[in-house]
Amino acid sequence: MLQGIAAGVGAAFGPSILAERLLASPATNVPPLGNSTPKRIVFFMQNQGFDPKTCIPSGMKNSGSLAKAKLPEPISPLEPYKDRLHIINGLHGLHTSPSHSAFFGALGGYRGSDGVPPSAPTIDYELSKVLPQTLLPHLCIGMDSIENMTTKPTLATLSASGAGQPIFMHSNPNHLYQMLYGGISTGDIRKQHEARTSLMLQIEQFAASKGRALPAADSQRYDQYVQGFKEANGLRDRLGAVSDHLRKFAPEVDERYTNPEFETDWHDRLLDLGISALTSGITNTLTIGSGRGEIFGAWKGLGVEQQGHNLGHMDQPDNPIWIKIRQYNSRMLVRIMEALESVPEGSGTMMDHTLIVYTSNNADKQHTNGANWPVMLLGNLDGAFKSGCFTQLDGKRPINALYASLLRAAGQNVDRFNMDDKQAKKFDAGNGPLKEVLA
Amino acid sequence: MTAGKQVRQTSSLAFDVHRSVWGALLCFSFGMFSLGMMSSADAETYTPGQPLEKDYESFAGAFLADHCIDCHGETAPEGGLSLQDLGPVDEINAGTWRSVWAQVSLQEMPPPDASELGVVDRLQFSDWIVDELSRVMRDKGGFHDHRDPNKGNFIDHDLLFGALPEEIRLVPTSSPARIWRVTPQEHITRLNELINTEPEYDPEKPGLRTHGDVVPTNHGGELKLYFGVDRIIKWQGGTVAYATSVKSVPAILSSARKHGLENYPDFYTVNSAEATQILDVADDIIRYMAEGPLSIAQPYQITDDPASIADKMVGDLRGLPTSLVYSTKVVRPLTPVYDLMKEDGVTDQRVRGAVEFLFEALTYRPPTDRESNQYLQIVNESIQKLGKEDGAVLGLSSIFLDRDALFRPELVEYGSPDPHGRVMLQDWELGLAVNHALRYIRPDDELRTAVLAGRMRTRDDVRREVQRMLADDSIRKPRILQFFRDYFDYDLGGYICKDNKALAETGVNARGVSHYRAMFDATASTDRLVELILHEDKDVLKQLLTTDKVVATKTDEVYFGRKRTPEETAAAAAEAKRAAAEETKEASAALKSAKKELAAFEQSMKANPDEDTAKKQRELTAKERAVSAAEKKLAAINKRRRDTENHSVDQADLSGPNLFARVSRRSFGNGSMKPERVLATAPEGQRLGILTHPSWLVSHSDAMDNHAILRGRWVRERLLGGGIPDVPITVDAMLPDEPHSTLRERMRVTRETYCWTCHEKMDPLGLPFEMYNHAGLYRTLELDKPVDTTGEIIDSGDPELDGEVADAIEMIQKLAESERAEQVFVRHAFRFWMGRNETLHDAPVLQDAHRAYKESGGSMNALITSLLTSDAFLYRTRTEPGMLAESK
Repeated sequence: MLQGIAAGVGAAFGPSILAERLLASPATNVPPLGNSTPKRIVFFMQNQGFDPKTCIPSGMKNSGSLAKAKLPEPISPLEPYKDRLHIINGLHGLHTSPSHSAFFGALGGYRGSDGVPPSAPTIDYELSKVLPQTLLPHLCIGMDSIENMTTKPTLATLSASGAGQPIFMHSNPNHLYQMLYGGISTGDIRKQHEARTSLMLQIEQFAASKGRALPAADSQRYDQYVQGFKEANGLRDRLGAVSDHLRKFAPEVDERYTNPEFETDWHDRLLDLGISALTSGITNTLTIGSGRGEIFGAWKGLGVEQQGHNLGHMDQPDNPIWIKIRQYNSRMLVRIMEALESVPEGSGTMMDHTLIVYTSNNADKQHTNGANWPVMLLGNLDGAFKSGCFTQLDGKRPINALYASLLRAAGQNVDRFNMDDKQAKKFDAGNGPLKEVLA
Repeated sequence: MTAGKQVRQTSSLAFDVHRSVWGALLCFSFGMFSLGMMSSADAETYTPGQPLEKDYESFAGAFLADHCIDCHGETAPEGGLSLQDLGPVDEINAGTWRSVWAQVSLQEMPPPDASELGVVDRLQFSDWIVDELSRVMRDKGGFHDHRDPNKGNFIDHDLLFGALPEEIRLVPTSSPARIWRVTPQEHITRLNELINTEPEYDPEKPGLRTHGDVVPTNHGGELKLYFGVDRIIKWQGGTVAYATSVKSVPAILSSARKHGLENYPDFYTVNSAEATQILDVADDIIRYMAEGPLSIAQPYQITDDPASIADKMVGDLRGLPTSLVYSTKVVRPLTPVYDLMKEDGVTDQRVRGAVEFLFEALTYRPPTDRESNQYLQIVNESIQKLGKEDGAVLGLSSIFLDRDALFRPELVEYGSPDPHGRVMLQDWELGLAVNHALRYIRPDDELRTAVLAGRMRTRDDVRREVQRMLADDSIRKPRILQFFRDYFDYDLGGYICKDNKALAETGVNARGVSHYRAMFDATASTDRLVELILHEDKDVLKQLLTTDKVVATKTDEVYFGRKRTPEETAAAAAEAKRAAAEETKEASAALKSAKKELAAFEQSMKANPDEDTAKKQRELTAKERAVSAAEKKLAAINKRRRDTENHSVDQADLSGPNLFARVSRRSFGNGSMKPERVLATAPEGQRLGILTHPSWLVSHSDAMDNHAILRGRWVRERLLGGGIPDVPITVDAMLPDEPHSTLRERMRVTRETYCWTCHEKMDPLGLPFEMYNHAGLYRTLELDKPVDTTGEIIDSGDPELDGEVADAIEMIQKLAESERAEQVFVRHAFRFWMGRNETLHDAPVLQDAHRAYKESGGSMNALITSLLTSDAFLYRTRTEPGMLAESK
């Protein structure tokens, strides 16, 4: 099955992307300058909740340094990286209706539920718009059972570009590979890429030809439609133009792409592709939905035979199954950090200009009212965030406040995110970014 | 009717106090003297909308000098706003000019005690500002206010329905040539036709969703296309497991959900992410068209005997597509796409068959030869590159992105202009315009045949087809229902996010998603009520405003109930407690008695083992069962007591004949929406028409409380035809946060002078609805004090209407009798079906439509027929209406 060149990327491509920027940013010393300073953000949303006991070091009740603390077993793979880690406990999402999942509300900071369409843009999309421009401003990947990923290779549950405008996440690594690296692919993927390329060019021509006779008032609006194809085709051209560069970052296509033994084979490959999109500079915002925002999901490749809803009904602390899943997540986080660390950028590495936000679309557990919404940050986004510490908040500030902090760090002068003053009176004891987490 | 009569009687007090420049813009005063303009008007005739060859200095500057500068001059200008140096329209001062336009168009300015401004002068000045703002803002996002349906009322109602001044010259009307992007709902309904077979209309169950109805939103209010749910006969798990395992895709095209008319042709386009996602969905659809559930399931999952695959359904499969079992009965439409894909090999004939079928299914017209050949070539090329299956799927997907699959053209590229430069729609453009006016699915055979036979070219052709379709209930006409959704805005309740505590205080169930589900159910119920009134087709607007009928679910007994006073609640709780205690006592006694009988019988059996016959055993069993039943009864009573009974609401008795409402396909397992309803009568004296139903009331509420301003605005705009300028951006629109004050008390801030200019148009019309709380329950108290439900109709344009009202019911009764309200309703119908705001040139069309409605005894069908056979619907011009037309 072929996939859209840009399905899942939100409402817009970078309108005037510069290939040289893509080439320059990872490898050369580009001085910080306004929003041209390379920055990127990764959201990792594990479903079923994130129990604070599985991330807060034992005995740690108050805010403080993690230097002398030992991370709990579920996140033990992060132990070597705890100087970059910031564990935040005590945000809330009471207004997001997170029981089972807040769906779009998790990243939107508004009420969400099964079947409820997004009511506003989500934070990942908003950040993708304001971070330095890349070829593909926003990439969403979703990990699920193999059956769900094959039957529903794209799904929209977590990210949105506006009210009623869901952003689709990719779950079939073959399709995603074709989208990102079709130009340097071989074999079947190459053939599909070429067929699709040809098709899209013809569609663009048709669309353009049917726009010639339009009245002036409509032609501008219709031009946006035609322009969409031009952008999609242009993206492919631009990716093609930097194929030598991409080759350095594109993952090897192995047999697990077409013949996965477990769903985790695809999870790993999706992550590879997501990481490569960051390291190659194709994108600056990556959203990872492990469990795809819903209350199911499978990890048979970890030896977890139970799947889906049952996992959410289990207590997470000291649960061998959840230790496996959380450690798997943590190893993924380590992979992202190591990959970004390996690419020089400015006077340091890509990781220096990156922030990873790890949390759950389900707050702290599956059946929750959202009174506590634990979050882990990794990295500091050019020193914007504190790291190596644990912060205990009082439960009176919403996840929206964290999102407003992210926007601040991305250079936006905002005090709130998706929360008007009236709502804030009830749900936010403060205003502006979370001073406890910003450096 | 003279111009002077149109000037509203505004108290000059309203302009005394100003807080900010923006505040001042709401109420800037014109000068006292306007003799110069009056004399110039007398000398001219004017065709509204015609290009004005007038410059700033000699025209607008002079206008400002004559009318405005006295009060808004350099020295101590009213409200601190000086228009002395406003100057020609430019990007910087566009905001100020925009407000000037609104104030002049709405006749807020000049105030009546300041000057008399001629109709022509006012129109010319207003048109000049529109022209200039359009020109200046062309490359900066444009100026669209005059096209905004929420500003349609900026055209003076009395000029549309009364006699025009002699100087005004009208030209035969038309609408601009245009393309009209389909709505998300139209699009999903269109795609749904490819993969799902909806049931035929059943006259015995007219409310059930049927072929031709829209794909409704699901249990959570999301619009989705579902694959194969009509064949699912078994699944594992409950509601969420089902929702996760079925295949569905959300609406791809975006639409901003707002109050009012949702879709004009110039609202939307298709962006690149949407286009590419359409291509992906097309892939899924074509494969489903070809293979059915096999495209989304394993072969073993398709069986009529789920037990036979028990060995495959091992373990916990909840939430997985493999947890589903599909019946073997093929129910999807089998089309030429199926024919193409099912057989080996490829022939041009089969490919062309699939192309032409799909093209018409997506664009609703047959392809031209050129189009057919183009797509044939694309599909063949794709097949050459990728092989039959993948190639055909990819190639055919391209048709989903044809312009005419996403936009409906009304371009009149063929046909001769009449002397006014107008070209009448014809053939497919006319056929599809008529079809789209009523339906979301493709034209039926009769309309299709009429187009192909050259019988869709005249007004009579349109009348014939419109009347035929309107008369046939089996031809579903969801566009009419959509008009009523747009007009009333009763379909937003499920999207209003409620504060849980505030919701619980209303008396409804605030747990989980219960309230939101109730609201989506309420929307479907109100839909059905509208349909029932449309079916009668008599005094439609009046009936909608005053009906005592309610289409209801069981839950509505609470929503249509009355919130009890604390005393009543306490009494009800005490009575329930007493009754429960009584019941418990009786049940306990019965249990004790049953146990006693059983014990005695057992004793007897034990004492007389020889009598242990089969008969005795049966008796023993019966007594054991009696004990068990008594235990269960007692347990049930105790459970009921433990469950929190709702004593705070006097539930409405909503009984009546059974009927159905149109709800979505199964989207949430057993928790999916149910179509069953009753047609009941609302509690007497508490409700009157749709505006008093929870669906409308909650749609016009917010998280914490009623939204009296929004409700008042609705009445002002949709019934009285008044216009409200945009809220100045610097205005702090917050009411004070005072939990112990009523909404009316908190709204005192809007009475401050600079707010009241606008708010007097809304608040007194919205506050009568305070007789309901923000979940729509009738109440007599607010914050434990008698609720104040008074209001006033102020300056409605019809002196007969003006005056104080005791509550919403009295207000609605007055408005329902109003001819003006009827005319305003016609104006909104015009906007919906023409896809644009009315201009003065549409006055004859509006008057005809109103006459048709009135003379037919309030028939919606007559109104629609009049509109769809009007020049505004039939004719197109290649530029704005009135601009190209002759001015004589």
